[in-house]
Amino acid sequence: MVKQFSIFLENKPGRLSNLIDLFERNQIRVLAMGIAEAGNYGIVRCILDAPEKAAEALRNANTAVNLVEVLIIDMEDLHNAVKVLGEKGINVDYAYTMDLGRIVIKVDDESKAKNALSEAGIKTY
Amino acid sequence: MSIQAYSMGKKEIKEVQSRKLKEVVARVYENSPFYRRRLKEAGIDITNFRPEDIRKIPFTTKTDLRDNYPLGLISVDKSKIVRMHASSGTTGNPTVVAYTKRDIDAWAELNKRCLEVCGVTSDDVVQVAYGYGLFTGGLGLHYGAERLGSKVIPASTGNTKRQLKLMKDLGTTVLACTPSYALFLSESAKEEGIDPKKDLKLRVGVLGAEPWSESTRKVLEEEFVQSAHDIYGMSELNGPGVAIECRKKNGLHVWEDHYFVEIIDPNTGEVLEPGEKGEMVVTTLEKEGMPLLRYRTRDITILDDEVCECGMAHARIKKILGRTDDMLKIRGICIFPSQIEEVISGFEGLTPFYQLVVDRDGPLDRLLVKVEVSENFKSDRLTEIVDLQKRLEEELRDVLSISAAVELTEPRTLPRSEGKAQRIIDLRKI
Repeated sequence: MVKQFSIFLENKPGRLSNLIDLFERNQIRVLAMGIAEAGNYGIVRCILDAPEKAAEALRNANTAVNLVEVLIIDMEDLHNAVKVLGEKGINVDYAYTMDLGRIVIKVDDESKAKNALSEAGIKTY
Repeated sequence: MSIQAYSMGKKEIKEVQSRKLKEVVARVYENSPFYRRRLKEAGIDITNFRPEDIRKIPFTTKTDLRDNYPLGLISVDKSKIVRMHASSGTTGNPTVVAYTKRDIDAWAELNKRCLEVCGVTSDDVVQVAYGYGLFTGGLGLHYGAERLGSKVIPASTGNTKRQLKLMKDLGTTVLACTPSYALFLSESAKEEGIDPKKDLKLRVGVLGAEPWSESTRKVLEEEFVQSAHDIYGMSELNGPGVAIECRKKNGLHVWEDHYFVEIIDPNTGEVLEPGEKGEMVVTTLEKEGMPLLRYRTRDITILDDEVCECGMAHARIKKILGRTDDMLKIRGICIFPSQIEEVISGFEGLTPFYQLVVDRDGPLDRLLVKVEVSENFKSDRLTEIVDLQKRLEEELRDVLSISAAVELTEPRTLPRSEGKAQRIIDLRKI
């Protein structure tokens, strides 16, 4: 299971740049990123290559950040994966693509989803 | 003297007040040309003055102080004045207040009483982080703590890192400052790697000079100081030490042997009953240098004349709801920042810092409430955040009777203050 960073940001020019700057300064690589916005604010969701360092850097910068467990699967398994999840009554809350032909999925029951996918022979990261 | 003040019963207080009211009216009539003229014009009979005649005396206002700048309202010979304090005077002449030696002494005594009511003793280390200087907060609490025999640290305002270092190294047990500065100190402590629970010994907070809410108390008592008490005063009434919250924290006891309190309707001037909300009007009973009759404080509160569970009979005022000058009139409706603070406090993941921006859209006033999220804000589900914003807006509409837009801002983005917080930005052009 992978930890995703969910960061609250105001929806204003320069805010995202500040955030990415912070990652750069701390040599943290962004592996995947999605943004959801609502009016004057939004949530930046991302997968980072150095989670512990990132958590510390974000805390020091007084960011409102939550860590959330997500699943990562290969894009080629997408069709099968959502079918299995749907059959088991597991909901996909949101998803966004990632480098290396992968996709990040947030479901409402991570451990159940992980078991279901593994039983169906689908690789998760 | 103190023990006597704490144990006074209702009857005794009323008797003392009746006697002192008559005395102060006679004194200002004798010594202040300003009041002699006022009292004559109002047809007040000085020789047969009865306590209920107080209601016939015209109010004294801040404008009277300004119009008689600098010392037109003193009631003693100038040679007896030993101290003068002054307000900032951003909107014209400052208001000057003058003390005799006896006034300074009484002021020290009242602040000592306030500290004692909060449970402060001679063993305590009292850090006074109110401004020292023309502002009365610093010196008032300083005198009180010194008279009590506590160890006083006259830190004054500012230099937050040093404040925290003093607190830690000198073992401060009592902190006296504005509530907004206490919040800022609490937040800064964490940044400095200081855990207030482990590294500091703050027992009592004596917090005043601006209105603050139960939610601020909750935050401060959970994170910073064991017991946070509201203290009330203003330079026109000596400074801090007019009223204090006891351990029951159910209103602030006014030292009624020094101050006679009335609550009035700010629009009509009519005196209201205990339990009714209005502007507090105070007559000073002991002040010698510059006594004031029926001074309009512009603070909005409610009087409770029942004997408190703590045993003291001195009447209580509710925590100040706001000032008549802080009162925002939006679309004809009166709004106090404290009402907004109470609403915000009911939600998790938000800080006590907020800002109100009033603007005009054509003929219509618009209120924007900027609310800062904390680092613990739940920030993954957009629907939850949108829902929180909606609930905030709904609750504000219920409480204020007008609609307000809520804008959520990132942690540490709204201004902090070391003195009184600036929370209102009014962009309306008249």
